[in-house]
Amino acid sequence: MILRPFKYVECGSVDEATTTLKQYGDGARIIAGGTALVPMMKHRLLRPEVLVSVIQVPGLGDIAAGPDGGLRLGALATHWEISRSPLVKRESPLLAYACGRVASPTVRSMATLGGNLCYGESASDPSPALLALRARVRVVGSGGERTLPLTEFFTGFYETGLAEDEVLTAVEVPPLAPGARWRYLKWVPRAQEDKALVGLAAVLVLDGRHCRMARLGLGGVAASPVVLRRTEQSLEGRELDERTSAEAGEVAAAEVEPMEDLQGSADYRRDMLRVWVRRVVADLATGGGER
Amino acid sequence: MESFELTVNGCVERVQAPTQWTLLQLLRDGLGLLGTKEGCGEGSCGACTVLVDGRLTRSCLSLALRAAGRSVLTVEGLGANGRRDPIQEAFVRHGAIQCGFCTPGMVIATRALLGVNPTPEDHEIREFLSGNFCRCGGYTQIVNAVRELAGRRPTAVNRGENA
Ligand SMILES: Cc1cc2nc3c(=O)[nH]c(=O)nc-3n(C[C@H](O)[C@H](O)[C@H](O)COP(=O)(O)OP(=O)(O)OC[C@H]3O[C@@H](n4cnc5c(N)ncnc54)[C@H](O)[C@@H]3O)c2cc1C
Ligand code: FES
Ligand code: FES
Repeated sequence: MILRPFKYVECGSVDEATTTLKQYGDGARIIAGGTALVPMMKHRLLRPEVLVSVIQVPGLGDIAAGPDGGLRLGALATHWEISRSPLVKRESPLLAYACGRVASPTVRSMATLGGNLCYGESASDPSPALLALRARVRVVGSGGERTLPLTEFFTGFYETGLAEDEVLTAVEVPPLAPGARWRYLKWVPRAQEDKALVGLAAVLVLDGRHCRMARLGLGGVAASPVVLRRTEQSLEGRELDERTSAEAGEVAAAEVEPMEDLQGSADYRRDMLRVWVRRVVADLATGGGER
Repeated sequence: MESFELTVNGCVERVQAPTQWTLLQLLRDGLGLLGTKEGCGEGSCGACTVLVDGRLTRSCLSLALRAAGRSVLTVEGLGANGRRDPIQEAFVRHGAIQCGFCTPGMVIATRALLGVNPTPEDHEIREFLSGNFCRCGGYTQIVNAVRELAGRRPTAVNRGENA
């Protein structure tokens, strides 16, 4: 498979990238790792006139501690780097684990976190984790910089709230609540390197069996990655046992509108979501540890 | 059209390549290095795996011009003085090569695996090579070859036939 001709602009700064994006408008596309963009171009789903590369922007891939705890991940940080970073493993083991579930080591070494979020794919592995952690994204456009919660970033099927001239520069991850238990469950019906049919990230803070806080992010089921808000509410303030876990599964199954594709029907997705919410909640409640 | 320099298997190459060429096209069509294969062309199969400055890369998804100034290692760069690399030797010894189409990518991925983890457990071998498909299905022999490189014995099930 070959690519059709395009113009390539290597940018030395975010400003240069936003200016170039503005200059070419609809015909321009950012390229980071290229693992999502290049296949789309090969399949003729996209035909950008200009590729605006940010891969050499200094510092854009930095992984650092956040100002008030937590993490600040540069858009170009790769899933390989994030999954192996001692800082991320310590501060946000859920995120390190979820990034380590993306595809295979070769794809992980190329694929960036910023590219993953901007691709806007529902079956993204880091997105549910970042939604459960209530992460924020920083974006820079020709009009300046803004920060928005990830919950507002995903707007639909492969759609995000990024304007044409905006670049995602960093992801801010709040610290994991003290004593929180977490899990990322990637349900793939066929093989290890497949994308998630259900990607469920859960963070629970429990006092014995009493649920103080529940945060659930979901990928692969709805048209975009989503937070399971009603399911979270159904858990908070309750004693978690088999019955409440099963009820949470029912709430989750009713809360989302599943997609349908070659990987699975909408009904299958809904059934698997119901099962996995129940199992993950029950497992975390009985101290099933991490992952 | 782009013109730039890069190092391929230790040799500096001055190349001219269309802007839209992938690194895979540059290696095969530009430099005549046919060891690296194109399977799917879309990042799934791993047949095109190479190292760029030591980093695992799907050359079918990578733009050639991004390799400017960098150092690329392909299967042709393994081994020295006409002798095969120990990874290649182990693959041969264990019958880990049937049609051989996946082998260049497998061998390069194995090189990367042993670089980060010289003594991988079986599940680590399988996970690391999960992005490299063998259409002949010879995974047991491939895992056995890597096991041996990790200093462990092949699994009982295939020892008789392949060791
Ligand atoms: C074989 C294969 C398997 C995969 N498996 C998985 C998987 O298991 N889990 C998973 O989550 N993903 C998977 N993916 C999807 C893909 O690897 C990820 O979405 C990847 O993180 C995309 O990042 P990238 O840097 O390669 O982005 P690119 O391909 O460079 O860009 C993707 C999109 O985002 C835009 N973009 C990139 N960076 C920015 C930025 N900083 N600001 C604004 N816009 C930007 C681009 O214009 C483009 O539209 C897989 C891909 C392949 C090829
Ligand atoms: S040819 Fe590159 S991954 Fe299949
Ligand atoms: S040996 Fe034939 S594809 Fe692996």
